[in-house]
Amino acid sequence: MAGWNERVTDLSIASTMTFDDVACAFPASLQEALELMADEKTRGRLLAGGTDLMVQWESGVLAMPERAVSVKALPELRTIEETEADVIIGASVTHMDIRRSPLTQKHVPSLVDAAATIGGFQIQTMGTIGGSVANASPAGDLAPSLMITDGAVVLASVRGEREVPITAFWTGYRKTDMQPDELIVRFRLPKMPEGYREAWRKLGPRQAQAISKVMGSCRGCVEGGVVKSFRVAIGSVAPTCVRLYDVEKWIEGKKLNEGTLAEAEKRTSDSITPIADIRSTAEYRKWVTGRIVRGFLEQFADQ
Amino acid sequence: MNKVKRTWQINGEEHQTEIPPVRRFLDVLREDLGLKGTKEGCGEGECGACTVIVNGEAVLSCMLPAGQVPENAEVTTVEGLEKTPGGRLLQAAYAEKGAAQCGFCIPGMIVSSYAMLSRDPSADPARIREAHAGNICRCTGYEKIVEAIQSAAEQWPAGTKG
Amino acid sequence: MVMAVKELGTLHSVGKGIPRLDADEKVRGLAQYADDLNVPGAWYGFVVRSPVAHGRLRGLKKDPGFDWSQVVVVTPEDIPGNNIVDLMGRDMPFIAHDVIQYLGEPVALVAAASRHLARVAGSHIRADIEELPPLLTLQDMVARYKEDPAQLHELASQTIRKGDTEKALSEADMVVEQEYSAGHQEQLYIEPQGMVAIPESDGTMFIHGSMQCPYYINPELCETLDIPPEKLRVKQSAVGGAFGGKEEFPTLLAGYCALLALKAKRPIKIIYDRNQDILYTTKRHPSWSRYRVGVMKDGTIHAIQTEFLLDGGAYTTLSPVVMYRGILHAAMGYRCENVAIDGHVYRTNTFPNGAFRGFGAPQALWAWESMIDELAEACGMTPHEFRLKNCLHQGDSTPTGGILRDSVGSPTVLEKTLERANFSEKLKQCSHGRRGEKKWYGIGLSFFAHGSGFTGDGEARIKAKVALDLEPGDDGKPVVNVRVSSTEMGQGTCTILPQVAADALSIDIRHTAYPMPDTFKVPDSGPTVASRTAMVVGSTIFSAGKKMKAELEAFVSAELFDGQPVVLEQDRFCGSYGDKEMSFEEAAAQYLSRKGSLRVYDQFKLPEFIKWNQKTFEGDAYPAYAWGCNVAELEVDTLTFEIRVTRVTSYWDIGRLLNPVLAKGQVEGGLVQALGYAMLEKIEIKNGKYDADRMQTYVIPTTLDIPEMDLHFVEFPYEHAQPGAKGVGEIPMDGLAPAIANALVQATGIRMRDLPITPEKLFQMMHEEKTA
Repeated sequence: MAGWNERVTDLSIASTMTFDDVACAFPASLQEALELMADEKTRGRLLAGGTDLMVQWESGVLAMPERAVSVKALPELRTIEETEADVIIGASVTHMDIRRSPLTQKHVPSLVDAAATIGGFQIQTMGTIGGSVANASPAGDLAPSLMITDGAVVLASVRGEREVPITAFWTGYRKTDMQPDELIVRFRLPKMPEGYREAWRKLGPRQAQAISKVMGSCRGCVEGGVVKSFRVAIGSVAPTCVRLYDVEKWIEGKKLNEGTLAEAEKRTSDSITPIADIRSTAEYRKWVTGRIVRGFLEQFADQ
Repeated sequence: MNKVKRTWQINGEEHQTEIPPVRRFLDVLREDLGLKGTKEGCGEGECGACTVIVNGEAVLSCMLPAGQVPENAEVTTVEGLEKTPGGRLLQAAYAEKGAAQCGFCIPGMIVSSYAMLSRDPSADPARIREAHAGNICRCTGYEKIVEAIQSAAEQWPAGTKG
Repeated sequence: MVMAVKELGTLHSVGKGIPRLDADEKVRGLAQYADDLNVPGAWYGFVVRSPVAHGRLRGLKKDPGFDWSQVVVVTPEDIPGNNIVDLMGRDMPFIAHDVIQYLGEPVALVAAASRHLARVAGSHIRADIEELPPLLTLQDMVARYKEDPAQLHELASQTIRKGDTEKALSEADMVVEQEYSAGHQEQLYIEPQGMVAIPESDGTMFIHGSMQCPYYINPELCETLDIPPEKLRVKQSAVGGAFGGKEEFPTLLAGYCALLALKAKRPIKIIYDRNQDILYTTKRHPSWSRYRVGVMKDGTIHAIQTEFLLDGGAYTTLSPVVMYRGILHAAMGYRCENVAIDGHVYRTNTFPNGAFRGFGAPQALWAWESMIDELAEACGMTPHEFRLKNCLHQGDSTPTGGILRDSVGSPTVLEKTLERANFSEKLKQCSHGRRGEKKWYGIGLSFFAHGSGFTGDGEARIKAKVALDLEPGDDGKPVVNVRVSSTEMGQGTCTILPQVAADALSIDIRHTAYPMPDTFKVPDSGPTVASRTAMVVGSTIFSAGKKMKAELEAFVSAELFDGQPVVLEQDRFCGSYGDKEMSFEEAAAQYLSRKGSLRVYDQFKLPEFIKWNQKTFEGDAYPAYAWGCNVAELEVDTLTFEIRVTRVTSYWDIGRLLNPVLAKGQVEGGLVQALGYAMLEKIEIKNGKYDADRMQTYVIPTTLDIPEMDLHFVEFPYEHAQPGAKGVGEIPMDGLAPAIANALVQATGIRMRDLPITPEKLFQMMHEEKTA
């Protein structure tokens, strides 16, 4: 909409719409939300906690939509439950809910640690897991911890539900596998097995309220110095959060010593081609990702 | 018309409003309701000056669509603190310890303090710092703010929401 | 006005941690900042800006498809007076009409009934510009300087000469050469810039908003608006932080508002959003320093030769004075008889850089205090031995030949900090990049002075004027109002000046008040800058208070106590015969009812012996200096090279402590800004634009980034300006960056000479060292 003046120098000029012009539906139930999304005439931009979208609309990074559909308050989306194998987290569960829940603390601890590093308390009480995942930013803080569970995103539409493995959900920079009539209803995350551990590390420009330079999570098990299992995912180094399958495969079965740690570090750095941006350089990101993975393995070896 | 009706309890008083649903709650408070104590420092959820409490949780009113503030929600802004014992305690502690300098971050900061102590009246400085990491202050270096919150926490009325 | 210490009398307010007088309204959310002002009928202004950094403006095109009847547009033809911002250099127009010198330079102003409509209208105006190649960065500026300075547009220059530096360099046992640089720093006050202009029916233009210096806007706007000073009223609203960022910039914003208000014939309000505020307001000047310093084998500094360059941005503004303060601190603190300093400010095509806490001194001291550690190393001495050997003492001469006569906190603050921090022992525990450790530990030192008050002849020229008014307060009771143009912006003016007035009069502080400055009501006590308010304005208030005390004592004696001698002490008038007493409040009420209100003026005078040559930069550059010493301790995570400052130990001599709680708050806040400058805050220019233009990308410290701070004061009161404060506003910003860089060397063996200090740079330098 910048239109006539092509080279605006103010981010905020970009839209001729204001927040006041955006219509919004507040469905009372999941079924009502699905029906709204099913029809092109009533469909709108899904709005959860607003912590990403409101900024992107205000700054003009995204054009304001004619219509939004608020799913923040849908009761079906606000619970954290468990089955024998999985933790089930509703899409509108907030980062603060994740931090406070004994279920997540016990079964997906790195997700809890990651949630604690998002923004400040206020963002954590507003932002939701579904919104964060749908926003599809490579710097989305929850992504690595979700990826290492090998869990699934559950999508729903009037056509029914389907599960997409989290590792396949982000298809490119800010792109997802969602269809226009779908919304994320919950996440099914396999629990951390007995004897396994998780770890989380985020490097940002400062200690809080930071978008990461690099971040990562891992889940694994080291017995007698030998890596029995290791899954690791890294964010902010590629168009999407990435699992480092080659490194995982290589280290599994190996005894941890200076030689294998150094090789894992090198293989990690070699496996990514990050970019430079305002937060960091490509060279540092490449190097420090290897260091983070090394740190994870050292941590597990110390146990 | 593109408007929704909401009734809220703001600082203990009932307000009936009819608002554009995605209008920023900050604008509703400042411009529609005249509650100008809440400040806008960045408009993008980074500084925390616009912090208010909705149903017990500290939130950023600059990125909160007003329509998402639930029906009958209890809202506390800086103007409401003096109506509560805990709020008065915090105000006195902030003033006495020198926690306010320019004062522009203070409405959001002290509301964060109130939200935190109402849930967890802990005087542990590490927890205080974590609960206020979303409130940026450029004047104080935060030391006197942490001191003030500790002092209020030590006297926090037991068993109350403040 | 000059009094000896013994005449100070007993202090009941000064020296106490009295809570801020504005604390109550601030903690209750009642303070009215610019955006909170209720201005009926106001429209919103918007600035239409150049989309290129350098070019020739051929004209403006307004979209014919847009409905222009609903907005007001101001272009240079609408300006009644001269299209000049009356700052130093007089080279900046309010609205560009010929050459575009920076990206975002105003080309037109727009106002409309809503903020949104003004913005939308602005986007329908296009500047037709013939682009010229811009000079954008400090790096490019320095490269041209090294090649041939004649390629650059010089905005200001100044030299300092003492002794024979070339000869002394040839005599020295060793000559150490080094270069240092630092980038932009944004003030990032939490309240964005905001201003209102209200045209009044009698032709007065009323400017109300967020500012540090009401008497900059008046007279600076008079020429542009073509009105006499008495028709320009300027009033300060509550200010949500400034740090220099609201020193000279508000004149521009006030001008935009006033020009639109004249044409629209209604009040105009402009409140910048954060994006505009970061892009289109002043910042700390990027700087580059090159040193050649000659030292003797025994560690004596024999010759200092340095060049100090500032990137001025597009126009002159205040840059000459920033550079002056820079060069006056670039070799300060240590004995040396041969000093040659060359300061230059050059134009680049960025927003004009300006005032920011420290005003050139942090840039100069970043380089100089890093250099001192490098000199110590060259001499085989520890950082503290070298400083103790060379630091200035009372009676020594500064680089401009000024004599440190009295109130000299050196070497006391240095010695005390070293002891408190256990520096010499901890220095031995540093890691020096040893392999196989999880954390590297380092400790670093800096020691520095900060000139109090205006640079050079500034105080002599401005002659700060103050008034005290005894008048009925809002409650009808008598109150002594402090009438100054010195503003409250968070630092404590509204409390310390009443404290000083109360003690001068010997009354309780509750009988004093500090109303917001309004140029229709206050004399010009000068701008609120340069750490001058406590020392200069404070001492003038003190002498005005003594005058008022004498006047009231004479009144009580003559009219209430039958002519017996009367003393006002601790809130009571006492007759010397011992039979009569009256409270201040009662007597003051009597005065008001019989004689009406009482106004007492005073004016600041420098002591006679302060001599300064503004041309040659010889003599006493400042009436006094505050002194500080920082010890920084840090840890480097050897896994990731993350650097965390864990502890800062420091002593400060800021003269007499007027209010220890507020002073400590200034130091804590200043150190945290300095921490940001050292480690976090950076703006680079990508594709011709600042890359950090929001609070998400321009990051400053949060509660979780703060080191433990162990802070102490030692008082060396300045005897020639009672009660003897020397200013604390800026000095906390001066020394932390070099202390951190010096600590990093002890931790890692790597010397960083460019700010900020980041893990990325440490990684790069470690990597280069390994491959070299």
